[in-house]
Amino acid sequence: MENRLKEIIESLIFISLEPLTLEKIKSVLTEYEEKEIETAVQDLLETYITNERGIQIIQAAGGYLFSTKPEHDSWVKRLLKVERKSRLSSAALETLSAVAYHQPITLAEISALRGVDSSHTLKTLLLKRLVKIVGRKKSPGNPLIYRTSDKFLTHFGLNSIKDLPSPEELSRILEEEGAPEVEEDHTP
Amino acid sequence: MKHTNLMEALSDYQVKLEVFEGPLDLLLFLIRKKKIDIHDIPMATVTREYLEYLNQKERINLDREAEFLLIAALLICIKSQMLLPREKPLEEEQDPRQVLVERLLDYQRMKAASGFLKDREEEETQKWKRTGLPRMLSEEETEYIEVSLFNLAESFFTLMKRKERAEIKTIKRQEYSLEEKMKEILTLLDASEFLDFLDYFIQQESFEEALVAFLGLLELIKSRIVIAVQESHFKPIKVWLQKEYVKRN
Repeated sequence: MENRLKEIIESLIFISLEPLTLEKIKSVLTEYEEKEIETAVQDLLETYITNERGIQIIQAAGGYLFSTKPEHDSWVKRLLKVERKSRLSSAALETLSAVAYHQPITLAEISALRGVDSSHTLKTLLLKRLVKIVGRKKSPGNPLIYRTSDKFLTHFGLNSIKDLPSPEELSRILEEEGAPEVEEDHTP
Repeated sequence: MKHTNLMEALSDYQVKLEVFEGPLDLLLFLIRKKKIDIHDIPMATVTREYLEYLNQKERINLDREAEFLLIAALLICIKSQMLLPREKPLEEEQDPRQVLVERLLDYQRMKAASGFLKDREEEETQKWKRTGLPRMLSEEETEYIEVSLFNLAESFFTLMKRKERAEIKTIKRQEYSLEEKMKEILTLLDASEFLDFLDYFIQQESFEEALVAFLGLLELIKSRIVIAVQESHFKPIKVWLQKEYVKRN
């Protein structure tokens, strides 16, 4: 019986196109005890860690999702006829960091942090649904305020926003880098 | 990197100027290059270096230049504040450089964070999820016919005429933005796989709103983000996200 529950959960995760949360699983499997479900999920995760499979269950945006293993990337791309998945520009990454660490935030605040007008970059991020509008700020002009979306978490393989390095950790990263040797190519 | 000839060197040089994301990025670079302690910036040296860089930049993008000049003005302002004679020496918290230091530290952290995100993204792109797959059309789906602009416009106006006759309303003054409508369409498409053309326009409150939505839809079709299809003639028109667009996201 227990194995059957595990298999049902496996099907549910398989069929989900977005990370499937534990709450969602529980809301579907009403005939099972919550505790039972939790154990089965853990069990399932372990199966995938220990088994030699081409796919794995990853945790993103607070849910579970099937993905191929990174080491099979080149063959998957061959099948799908994709050269290279597009990546975000450095301006986009900078803007996302500004939003992620200072949310909720307005466009003007993002631009001030970066020292660069960010309206275009932000628009692109909105279209890619990596950030979302959550309302308007009660200040002159009532500017829109932005937050990172669940898609942002999935895109970067983060389970929650807390998975981002804390400001202290960032300072430590910077210290470790020290004053990094500047690449010669940089020198104007 | 060894340059074989001058031309190559010059073209490389142009690329380098675009390396910086903005004025703060440049400023941080100069500080690191000179191995300066960020908490004790020699304003004169840094300002000089900074302005030299701006002067070197010949072909400039005016929009971006303004941002570089703004920080130049800030540097000069700080330096002049430091030059002003004071009755008693300033306390540490009152250091005019403090504003700049905080901005730079903030920016530096943000840079570190975007480095982190970049690495994560690199890792994640190698894991393929079923959401990330380009839409694989099944046999019967391939039969779809792409709807021409003419067909779309025709259905739109028939629909609007029908609607007009159905109810007469007082005209409310409200403005609709094309951009908002386009975003709305994309959000709807995100939530469900496709959009029923008729349903969507029947839901629009007024003719103006429907018109803006229609223009937005045309814009999305033009930029190849969505596609309008029907199973066969006279069947309902459906709006899908373009395969390429799904792939890219």
